[in-house]
Amino acid sequence: MSEMLRAPAEVTYADELDFLESVDTGPKPFSWRLSPRMVRLFVLGSERADGLSREIPQKWFGDRSFVERAIVTLASDRGLLLIGDPGTGKSWLAELLAAAICRNSTLVVQGTAGTTEDHIKYSWNVSMVIAKGQSRESMIPSPIMTAMERGVVGRFEELTRSTSDVQDALISILSEKYVAIPELDQDNIVFAQPGFSIIATANSRDRGVNDLSSALKRRFNFVRIPVVTNKRSEAEIVRFRTEELLRRHRIELDVPPTLLDILLQSFADLRAGAAAATSDDEKLESALSTAEQIGVLEDAILHSQFFGDRTLRAATLAGSLVGSLARRSPEDLAILNKYLHGVVEPRARKDDDGWAGFLDGGRQAIASLS
Amino acid sequence: MTAPTVAGPFGALREQLSDAAAAFAGSADALGAILAGMVDDVDRALGERLEIFPVCHHSPASALAMVRRLRAKQPRVIYLELCEDLQPLLGELRNCRLPVAVQAFASELSGFPADAGPLSVVAPVTEASAEYQAIAYALETPGVELVLVDRSTDHVFQWSPRDRPSDGSGTAGATDGGGTAGPTATGEESGLHGDAVGVEIGDLRPRFAELEAYLLHHGKVRHWSEWWDQYVERPLADADHDTYRQVMVLIGSLFRRLRPAGEDRLDRDEDRERYMWTRMRQHLATSGVDPADCLYVCGAFHAASRVEQFGLGSTAPDFEITPRTDTRWRYGLIPSSHSAIEAQFGLAPGSVSIAAATWTKAVSRHNLSPYRLDGQRTGTSRGRRGRAPTAPVPTGPVSDRLTGFLAAAPDLDGLDEAELRGWCVDIVRLARRNGYLASTADAIAVFETSVLLAGMRNRARPTPYDFADAAVTCIEKDVVPGRRDVRRLCEILLGGDRIGQVGYDALPPLARDVLDRLQPLGLALEKRTVQRALLDLAAQPELGRCSDLLWILRHLLPPAAVRPIMGERRLGHRSVQESWDLALGRHQRALIELGYEGVTVEQVLEQRLRRAVRGPDATAAGALAAVEDAIRLLDSPRLVDELGARAVDLLAAERTVDDAPDVLRRIRRLLAHYRASAPTLPSWCAAFVTTGYAHYCTLLPTAIAAEETGVRQVGAMLGFLFSMEGLALSLGCDRSQLELAVGQSHPTAPAKVALLWAARHQLGLLPLAELRARCAELLANPLVVPAFPQYLAGFVHALEPVPTLAPFVVETMSTAFARLPDPVLLPWLPTLITTLRDQGPELVPLLIREAGRTFPEALPELDSWVPPWVAPPSPAPPSAVPAAAVSVPRRRVGVLLAAHPEAVDAVAALLGHDGRWQPMPDPPVDRSRASALLTGHPETAAAVSVLLGV
Repeated sequence: MSEMLRAPAEVTYADELDFLESVDTGPKPFSWRLSPRMVRLFVLGSERADGLSREIPQKWFGDRSFVERAIVTLASDRGLLLIGDPGTGKSWLAELLAAAICRNSTLVVQGTAGTTEDHIKYSWNVSMVIAKGQSRESMIPSPIMTAMERGVVGRFEELTRSTSDVQDALISILSEKYVAIPELDQDNIVFAQPGFSIIATANSRDRGVNDLSSALKRRFNFVRIPVVTNKRSEAEIVRFRTEELLRRHRIELDVPPTLLDILLQSFADLRAGAAAATSDDEKLESALSTAEQIGVLEDAILHSQFFGDRTLRAATLAGSLVGSLARRSPEDLAILNKYLHGVVEPRARKDDDGWAGFLDGGRQAIASLS
Repeated sequence: MTAPTVAGPFGALREQLSDAAAAFAGSADALGAILAGMVDDVDRALGERLEIFPVCHHSPASALAMVRRLRAKQPRVIYLELCEDLQPLLGELRNCRLPVAVQAFASELSGFPADAGPLSVVAPVTEASAEYQAIAYALETPGVELVLVDRSTDHVFQWSPRDRPSDGSGTAGATDGGGTAGPTATGEESGLHGDAVGVEIGDLRPRFAELEAYLLHHGKVRHWSEWWDQYVERPLADADHDTYRQVMVLIGSLFRRLRPAGEDRLDRDEDRERYMWTRMRQHLATSGVDPADCLYVCGAFHAASRVEQFGLGSTAPDFEITPRTDTRWRYGLIPSSHSAIEAQFGLAPGSVSIAAATWTKAVSRHNLSPYRLDGQRTGTSRGRRGRAPTAPVPTGPVSDRLTGFLAAAPDLDGLDEAELRGWCVDIVRLARRNGYLASTADAIAVFETSVLLAGMRNRARPTPYDFADAAVTCIEKDVVPGRRDVRRLCEILLGGDRIGQVGYDALPPLARDVLDRLQPLGLALEKRTVQRALLDLAAQPELGRCSDLLWILRHLLPPAAVRPIMGERRLGHRSVQESWDLALGRHQRALIELGYEGVTVEQVLEQRLRRAVRGPDATAAGALAAVEDAIRLLDSPRLVDELGARAVDLLAAERTVDDAPDVLRRIRRLLAHYRASAPTLPSWCAAFVTTGYAHYCTLLPTAIAAEETGVRQVGAMLGFLFSMEGLALSLGCDRSQLELAVGQSHPTAPAKVALLWAARHQLGLLPLAELRARCAELLANPLVVPAFPQYLAGFVHALEPVPTLAPFVVETMSTAFARLPDPVLLPWLPTLITTLRDQGPELVPLLIREAGRTFPEALPELDSWVPPWVAPPSPAPPSAVPAAAVSVPRRRVGVLLAAHPEAVDAVAALLGHDGRWQPMPDPPVDRSRASALLTGHPETAAAVSVLLGV
């Protein structure tokens, strides 16, 4: 485990999952390792009222009903499609669900423009086919087919990025629950074992790229994950993910609460500005998601660690914010400049609390980019 | 910690809870006091001689318990927690279709800040509520008295913090849930209550957000309504009377004890409790009724009251009730709707509809006969009047039902497959009708998901909320194809919004009068749909009265209520045919609230017009608008004179000229109207012109110099002075006043300087040649050239007072285009265009007409075209007017004057002119055509000359 840069959820939280499995008395659908209630508990964390002997921390922050709806969808006949803006935690939720349900979150197909039907069904080991002919042995099953065979959850990331004909290969998998291998004369059907399901994610901003066909839509339940706007949950998410990153990079560095507040507040301000904008030129290109905030903070932390004095400062944070959010020049830079001078400056003048440093850092960053 | 008294029916429970507090909280002090206190509250409320019936609003369980209790007890007096001054209205509920709201409304305030008005309080009544059952029982059973005991609506506002009058309700979720459902409410139905403050019987909700959040979190539900439904409503639906009462008081006590300290609202609530107990004691003393025959219906929160006046055995003195203010309250019923109630009291969308559906189902399941007011128009067909009374059941001693209730495992409802299947099939059908690609497979998936979701949330039977979640999961995809999303469709399916209607008999006189007078149109105006009315006033002159009424309603009601599609009514203009879109049924509240202001719409309009001109912010322009409305809509010369006289006063008192353009436009229109329709000008009109002349003359020097006064305003002032001059002088004004005012004016802004030049030109003080020379100077001076556009703007505005300057303005503008350098000209052009667009209707036609006359019509002519102002001056005209120059009309005048020279001679003598009459020149004879004809055809002439021997 220590060899891995980033361990999958089932490895990271193996202890918790073992513990939950040992105390789980609820009914489990199919071959699930945990009952739906325990899956929910694993994702959303435990409370005293749950009566567990150890605390299970919350791992995904969002409305409880989304998680419940996602879990029951997986227990039903349909696939689950998590849809939302980039950075809203769709893939993380998918990983957690797969880890909790079947202890395997790595059966993933990544949807891209180059994804082919082979990636969803199976392909052949050409040299083996030449040597031994076409057989189950020389066949390379896709992660989805592997999931079918084992009766576990397969994941399909960024479903809408793959082309429509490739997407439609999922229709028969989700309906008939088997994949036929016409190349073989016998043993030529792979049936899905009980417990098989698919969690797909789709970016709502890319919806128009390769829209799902109605037939496929019908086979998925859609759960829309909104951008977190609640400041408290957002603070939790940022703290949680940043701690994880720091642990991963083995960095000993404190994130002062005032800086976290500044980060959250600045994103809230920029989101309000984007909501009030009347044209695309008046809003940042970034979706200003929570993941983006985590990215900004991570960037600032790494910068402080390796180029600074190992203390996170407001100026560094501002520099990282400008660097991450200014994607278009001059539009994004102009918006950030306006924000710094119109919103941050009065705040810095009224009540320092880190805002003055933030303003200075932001100014310098903009000046260096302009 | 309060020492627990082990005595009484609840001794064992109290002890058990104290032990639990000690075990769980470590120290039992705070928690123990709360838990034991709650049991004490229950003990106290149930031990009270006057039976207290705790209720919660929109709770079918409360309503069911109420029906059962009323049937069993048959009380003779019912005390109800509702504003006491609303009592006379309750009988009118008979004429309405529920839900409706009882309303108290005041627009003429006394004792409240003037800007707080209008004050409005609404108390919505739905069928699935305990209070409706109590009201229906009391009103329909002979010998039963209903007494409303809560503070009056006047006290609602008296007791509310003055800075936030709309926050006044202590009863309602008004304070918690953003009680006024006004502009923020989305959807038309949810805004039915306007911005009224809501009062409601039995508000039962945690008093601080953290407690509610805690309960929701641990209850694994999303909204308070859902929590209530799962943890209180369903367990209590089948409970017996004692259990019901004990549990409700316990919950009331819980929320009472867990509340923020020092809360204003609690003080108000306690005052209300003192008020109610005082009123009940007074009533019992005067009527001599046995308290055992009475029932006190109040919110569970108030049942756990600890005020000193609580209970008939209390020896505390009566609460001192402050007198009401002199505010004149009007009362009526307005239509309400489930969504309006939800919006007003911060309930989950659809919760009132779900409660109504639950009630209907529970009534049939328990085979109960709810009480219903006689003649009630109901939304459902299940209307049944109360059964014949059964013999009253004596009340036994209180026994502890709480222990059993709290200790028992929740009695899980079994899965009602048929019901859920019905919902699933219906939602798919509904979704398909709304554009979703839903199929039977979706119905199956919704069913399965509902059951799974309910299981995950610890319930065997999916609640409507589970079902809605499941439907959203399975049917909602990435886009909503139609107007409604799946969640909204679920709300519709699970009961839908029901909109009440106030029956004709319960309407205020004004509303009835309006409906009566619109009867000839033959439309069903009570319907909520838009009705199209076609009025052919030529063929059916009797519809003229309807038309008059519609125009008044158009003025008084919201724009969508009465909308003209064709036809208009201006000063002196009436259409022969009109067509209207009428939505009076949909805007019943607006019509009813109009009824609080007067008995007829004419009276209301008159009052409003008077108020408009008497208000502290009334202006002369506003008063003239009121005059116009009075002429257009009321045809009452008396009122017009009164409003006009007020307009004169307002004008004389005005110190700014901001409204001058509006005043000028309106007075011109009114003068034109009077000239066309009346033999003489009304006295107020003459006074307005003379006052205005003097007023604007006085203000001109200041206004023209002041920076804050715009060019348009000064232009309008001068327009008034010049265009009314003739009339003003005939009414006794003196022109020298204007000349002096112009003489005193020394503007600095270029635009105003140009205006002043134009004024001086109009007065004959500045000849056109000099004006032209000044402009040429400006253009020649490189220092002033950048400001030239501003001069030009002044000249454009001068077209208003001096329309004869149009050729000069065209000339100057053309010169400017020709000679101004681009850096000056180009930035100015947009300003010119916007100015012309703003004041287009007045100035542009004049300019265009003049430009059309000046410039060549076709492009080829442009090459040879020489502007008239560049063309060499024509030779000086001879002193004697050439015959050709005398036009036909002038010739006729000349002939007339020559025939009757006395008047002209007298004027000449008066002026000291010693002139002599000149003979009129003969009309010129055009010989050219004749000679051309003769040259073309010389034969005849030659023949004649031969004949004559020439």
